[in-house]
Amino acid sequence: MAELDRSRLQDPAYMAQRIAACEREIQKGIIGQGELIRQVILAMLTGGNVLLEGMPGLGKTRLVSTIGKVFDLSFKRIQFTPDLMPSDVTGTNIIIKNEQGSSFSFERGPVFANLILADEINRATPKTQSALLEAMQEHTVTVGNVSHVLDEPFFVLATQNPIESEGTYPLPEAQLDRFMFKLLVRFPTREELKGIVALTEGGSEPVIEKQMDGEGLLAARALVNQIPIAEAVMDYLLEIIMETHVPNPHIREGASPRAAQALIRAARAKAFIEGRFNVSFQDVKEAAYPVLRHRIIPGFDAISAGITEDDIITRILEAKTALAGR
Amino acid sequence: MEQREFLKIIKACRRRMYIADFLKSSVSALSIGAGTGILFQIAAFFVPLYYADLYMMLAFILAELSVLAVMVVRRTTMEQAALRMDGFGFEERIVTAYEHLDQEGTLVGLQREDAMRQLREHRDKIHIPVMPSLKRTALLFLLLVCSVGLSLLPSAAKERAGELHRIREEAQGKEDEIEEFMEALEQLEQEQLTKEQQEALQEMMESLESSLSEYQQAVSEEMLSAASQKLDYKYENMSSQLSNLMQELQSGAGVSIASADAMQEIAEQLAKMQEGKLARGDGDGKGQGGSNGDDQMGQQKGVGDGSGQGGAGDRNGQNGQSGDGNGGGQNGQGEGSGSGEGRGTGSSGTPHDYVSVPNAVADSGNLTGNIGSHETSEYFRAQNGLNWEGEHTSLEAVIGSYEQNAYEGIAAERYPSGMEDIIKEYFASFNN
Repeated sequence: MAELDRSRLQDPAYMAQRIAACEREIQKGIIGQGELIRQVILAMLTGGNVLLEGMPGLGKTRLVSTIGKVFDLSFKRIQFTPDLMPSDVTGTNIIIKNEQGSSFSFERGPVFANLILADEINRATPKTQSALLEAMQEHTVTVGNVSHVLDEPFFVLATQNPIESEGTYPLPEAQLDRFMFKLLVRFPTREELKGIVALTEGGSEPVIEKQMDGEGLLAARALVNQIPIAEAVMDYLLEIIMETHVPNPHIREGASPRAAQALIRAARAKAFIEGRFNVSFQDVKEAAYPVLRHRIIPGFDAISAGITEDDIITRILEAKTALAGR
Repeated sequence: MEQREFLKIIKACRRRMYIADFLKSSVSALSIGAGTGILFQIAAFFVPLYYADLYMMLAFILAELSVLAVMVVRRTTMEQAALRMDGFGFEERIVTAYEHLDQEGTLVGLQREDAMRQLREHRDKIHIPVMPSLKRTALLFLLLVCSVGLSLLPSAAKERAGELHRIREEAQGKEDEIEEFMEALEQLEQEQLTKEQQEALQEMMESLESSLSEYQQAVSEEMLSAASQKLDYKYENMSSQLSNLMQELQSGAGVSIASADAMQEIAEQLAKMQEGKLARGDGDGKGQGGSNGDDQMGQQKGVGDGSGQGGAGDRNGQNGQSGDGNGGGQNGQGEGSGSGEGRGTGSSGTPHDYVSVPNAVADSGNLTGNIGSHETSEYFRAQNGLNWEGEHTSLEAVIGSYEQNAYEGIAAERYPSGMEDIIKEYFASFNN
C-alpha cells in the first residue's frame, strides 16, 4: 500500500483519492454491499454514528472490523444483552491496592475505542442504551464526577434485528436522532452470495491493508466541512426537511433540525468522495434516505397502508423536484 | 478559463434564457389573448357587440403588455442562468462557483477551477433553445386563425350591432344638438318675460328633454326616425313660437336687446334646421315626402288650424298613398291613391297635435308580414305618443270600407261625371 503522505493531508484532491482507495480496499473484504460501504464511509467522513438494520449473518460485524483495519482504527464490539449494565459499556472505577495504599482507578470500558460495534443494541435495557448517548453525542464518558474524553475519531455502528421484537427495547426517538444514518443491510444477490461463500469457505482470506489512519480521517472530515454549497441547493435541502413537518397523514413526526445538519454534512461528504468540491441536488437526494428514514415517524395511515419511511421520502423528493431545477 | 470569460458565458446564457422566456411568455400570453378574442367573437354571434374586433385587439395588446411588464420586473438572474447551465450535467458546479466567486479558500478555489475546467471541456453540451416549442406556436397560430376567421364571419347579431352603432351615433349627434339648444334656451333672460312666456319656454325645454330621452332610448331605426320626426315638428313649432315671442318682446318696453337677439338667433337656427330637413324631404320624394297624409288622422288630432307641411309627394301615388304634401287645408287634408309609403306630420297651434303614422302601408314591397296573415304585421309604439300602434284590420275590410265610401260618393254624385265607371271598375278588380 502507498503510505499516507502526511504533508498532503490538506490537499482535498489527494484526500479524496485516499478515501476512494479505502472504499476499494473495504470492498475486497466485503462481497457486495457497495452502497452500504459507501454510506458507512460517508458517516465516518462526517463524524456521524450509524444504525445498521438487517438480518443476522449479513456481514455487519465483518464490515465494521474491515473498516477498522482499512482506517487503522481501534475496534471494539459490544454485544448488547438484557443484562448488560451501563458500566459494562463505559467502564467503572475500581479499587487499586498498591504499596501506597488503596485508591480508585478508572477502568476503561469497551466504549474507549475509535470504532464501536454495538451489536443488537435494542436487546439492552434503555438504561444501558442511554449509556451510549453521551458517548455518541459528546464523545465523552462521565463516571462518577469525572468526564473522560473518548479518542478521536469515534464512531458507533449499532445493529438491530428488524424481525425479533420479543425481549427487545426499541430505541427511543431521541436516541435514534443521534444516529446520523440508518442503513438497511439488504440480503446479497445470488452472485454476491456465491462470492461470499467462495471467500469465506475454503478460499484464502484477502489481505486487507491499511489505507488511512485516524489523523487522515480527521483531516478529511475538516476538508468535507469546507465544501461550498450553492444557495439553491441549500434551499432545496431545507425545503425537504420542512416538508416533513407539513401536515401529512403519513407522517406523525417530522425530522429534527439535527436532520438538516446531518443532511448537509452527508451531501458534502458524498460530493467529496466523488471528487467534487460542490454539493449537487443529486447528493442531497441520495443522502436524504439514510438521514431521514429513522427521523420520520410514520403515522397510522402510512403503517396501515404499508407505506415505509423510504416511500414517504421518495414522495417528498418528488414533490420538491421543481426546486431542484429538473 | 479566466473569471471574466466564465462570467461572459453565464451572461450569454442568461441573455438566451431571457429571450427564450420572453418568447415563450409572449406565445402563451398571445394565446390567452387570442382565446379571449375568440370568446368576444363568439359572444358577438349572440349579442350585439359592435366593438368585438376592437376588444380582441385590446386583449392581444394587454396580453403582450403584461408580458413586457413581467419581463421587466422578473429578469433572469445570473444565479438562475448558472443553475440552468448546471442542468446540462455540471452538477451545480457552475452556480456554486458563481456564488462563491469573491471568496477565497482552498476548497472554494478548487471548486472554482473544477467548474471552469468542466465548463471549458463540456461547454458544447449547453443548449438553451430560444424559440418556443412548436406545439405552443402551432396552438397560437390556430387560435389566431380562429379569432380572425370568426371576426370575418357575418351574423345577424353583428349586423344588429352595426345598426345599433349607427343609431347610437346618429342619436348622439342629435342629443348633442338638443343639449345645445337647451343650453341656449336656459341662458335666455327670463326675468323680463311674462308668466305665460316663461311657461312657454319651460314647455319648450320639457319638450326638448323628452326628445333627448327618446334619442337616448332609441334602439331601432323606427324609434330614431320617430324621434327625428317628432323633433322636426318640435323645432318647427319652437321656431315659430320663439319668433312670436321675440316680436312680442321687441314690441314691448324695456326689453333686453341681447335676449331678443338670442331668441332670434335660436329661432333662425331652428328654422334653418327645419328647412334643411324639408329640403332633404323634397329631394327624396319617396315616402318621406307626404305630410298630413292621412286626412282622417289629421283631422282627428290636428284640431282646427293644422297646417300640413312637407315635401311634395307624387300625386299619382306611386310613393305615397297619402303623399300629397301640400296640405294647404285647415284640416291638413290630403288625398292620393296608389301604393307607397307615406308619412306625414300634422301641425297645429296646440302643442300636442299628433298624428298617427303607420309603419308600412300600401306598397307591398314595404309591407312587413303577409297580407292575409295579420299576426305577423309589425307596428311599434313610440314614446310620448307621437306614434302609436295601429289596429290590425284585414285588407278585405279596408277595401270594403273604401268601396262602400266610394259607392256612397257615387250615389251622392260627389265625383266628376265619367269617373263612376272607373271607380267601380277599380273596386271590382279586388273582387276577382
